[in-house]
Amino acid sequence: MQENRCYVSVQLDFTILQHILNHSIHMPVIRFENVSVKFNDEYLLHNLNFTINDGDKVLIFGESGIGKTTVFRLLLGFEQPVAGTIFVGEKELDAYTAWDLRRNIAYVSQDLDIGSGTVQHIIHTVLSFRANRSVAFNTEKIKGHLRFFRMKETILHEPYEKLSGGEKQRIAITIALLLERQIFFLDEVTSSLDEELKNKVIQYFTQNNSWTVLSIAHDRDWRNAAGVKVIPLPQQHADT
Amino acid sequence: MQTPDISYFSLFVCSLLLIIPFAVSIVLKLGLVRDGLISVLRMAAQLVLIGVFLKYLFQLNNPFVNIGWLLAMVTVATFNVIQKVKVNMRIFFAPILFSLIVATFCTVMYFNIFVIRLSDITDARFLVVIGGMLLGNSLRGDIIGIDNFYKALQRNEQRRLYALASGATLFESLVPYFRESLIAALQPTIATMATMGIVFLPGMMTGQILGGVSPILAIKYQIAIMVAIFTATTIAINMAILLTIRTCFNAYGVLKEQIFR
Repeated sequence: MQENRCYVSVQLDFTILQHILNHSIHMPVIRFENVSVKFNDEYLLHNLNFTINDGDKVLIFGESGIGKTTVFRLLLGFEQPVAGTIFVGEKELDAYTAWDLRRNIAYVSQDLDIGSGTVQHIIHTVLSFRANRSVAFNTEKIKGHLRFFRMKETILHEPYEKLSGGEKQRIAITIALLLERQIFFLDEVTSSLDEELKNKVIQYFTQNNSWTVLSIAHDRDWRNAAGVKVIPLPQQHADT
Repeated sequence: MQTPDISYFSLFVCSLLLIIPFAVSIVLKLGLVRDGLISVLRMAAQLVLIGVFLKYLFQLNNPFVNIGWLLAMVTVATFNVIQKVKVNMRIFFAPILFSLIVATFCTVMYFNIFVIRLSDITDARFLVVIGGMLLGNSLRGDIIGIDNFYKALQRNEQRRLYALASGATLFESLVPYFRESLIAALQPTIATMATMGIVFLPGMMTGQILGGVSPILAIKYQIAIMVAIFTATTIAINMAILLTIRTCFNAYGVLKEQIFR
């Protein structure tokens, strides 16, 4: 990591062995190349560089308000950088590849306002998108996830908006899992869960070798989980 | 039955009724006297002008002039929608204009050709008058529908972005809002039809009956016109939203900020 007065550049610190391994077996899934984002004329992200390879479990770590969620907004195409390039696989992220990426990832947003109506209705809606047609509405599978995350089956018929923050979080995770994607963008998905559930979720996501997981969190449990690589996001204007 | 004339003196007598609403406004400090007075004067002036204009329009009854006049009305209606909904003129003008033209002209032509079976399908009395009624209602539908659609999108942007992130196409992400705004835009017409005749007698029918037409014929016209209004409103709001969708989102499916004024 190198630091000077105007900006901070971030690079993943791999050991040489890991580096070789990653390049021989795992393909880069996502690569940020000198990506900068401005908010109100100030840099929120400045020359951000990192690579995420197939199968990586990566934690974007840092204090709140320093642009962690912006990394996801960039990847999902909801925001565009003022400078730099984002690569998805071999391709540059643009108005075409962003739609492809959205069909190939599962996203759990920090903002849990994901729909209205019963939980079942919300699940139905997401599964009804043409991109998700290959995934059947499998009640047994849904119930399995609900039980795993310590929820009652009857929650399916409850209005989503009446649920507690922790329940909403687990429903959003359940939907992400139902989509059967291989890449996960998780934005503070364990913030409202108790210690036991939190660790259960972290283990669930970090111990599946075929999944690529990009997680944003501010708590240390993610950081301490086995095999998780950390991308620390620096404060941009702390020393200017 | 002869319709009794209203003399100018009688109109003055009628205007004395305004004392009641104005008195209420003054006593309760509603501040509506000025606006109310301006509105009454505007109404009078506009109706006098349109009365004179319609007199010559009916006398001339030229197809091109009639169509031209209806087009002028559509243009004014378009400005009215954009002003009420407070959206960007550059983005919304063409789609709304087009939606109102298609809704009004298609419906009025069907009405004139197949329902009334006019020999002169551009007859001013039908094209301009019936067209005007369809337009007025389509305009109201457009205002409610477009306002509802884009306000809901703005309010629920996070929710819609979640749908996009879950693989929804732009249209799939918009379906719930599209549905809700159509319901909101069509609900008033549906409610009006359901209570018609019991709660109130519609203006056109009242006018026809006062003008000496038999109530049965007036009712037939009223039924036909309500069906036409329902159809025109549906066409207008559907087209307005489907056409504006093309220009109100960026290539990533995110709502452009500059659509609102």
